[in-house]
Amino acid sequence: MNGVFKALSDPTRRKVLELLRKRPMTAGELGEHFPVSKPTMSAHYSVLREADLIDGLKQGTTITYRIKLSVLEEALLGFTQALGIGTGDNEDANDPASSAKEGRIS
Amino acid sequence: MIIKRLGLAIALAALFLLTAAALRYGASEGMLAEETATRIVMALTGLGLAAYANIMPKQLGRARRSPAAEARAQAALRFGGWALTLAGLAYAFLWGFAPLSIARASAMTVLGTATLATMVYAIWSFTMCRGSEDASASR
Repeated sequence: MNGVFKALSDPTRRKVLELLRKRPMTAGELGEHFPVSKPTMSAHYSVLREADLIDGLKQGTTITYRIKLSVLEEALLGFTQALGIGTGDNEDANDPASSAKEGRIS
Repeated sequence: MIIKRLGLAIALAALFLLTAAALRYGASEGMLAEETATRIVMALTGLGLAAYANIMPKQLGRARRSPAAEARAQAALRFGGWALTLAGLAYAFLWGFAPLSIARASAMTVLGTATLATMVYAIWSFTMCRGSEDASASR
């Protein structure tokens, strides 16, 4: 459950879930909606997969993601969206890729 | 994975039966009222349904042929999950707190309506999906 809270605390990951709620999408299609690098998006997908909130189907070189939310998790997603958790100044702190980058620089 | 889920389901069913038997025994021995025993068993049944319906949208299964079919199947699972979870919670609440005469009728009505709505939505999704696939095939 801790993994679920961690995954839902980030607005980018919540946006990914919102997009996947409409239909399954490939990693490329999802990436078009975000002005961030591919490694950053991969890190976000990885967090979501670890929390068992999305499912990735690999077909050749393409990965298609499907949403995998329970009713409770979907309700939590709605609450976090409504409260705007993670949209403040601490947004970067939740970004796995930016955290990794900071680690490399220092 | 399937064996784990099956084992969990059997354990849960055994727990339900044991609880019901223990409550029935308690009622026959005068430790609690017959009505209380019935209410607890029925409320537990409602909560069990809500717990199972909660994970219903996570059971994605194999990949469908088209993204549209996948989206419709997921929407049907989500609709069913929400409808049955809320119905299960309402069922438990009604059996827990409503007068018995009201609880009997209204709990079954809530559950029946949710089940029917889930089935209608699933059939509608399947029909729409087949329709769009036929249309794209004839083009």
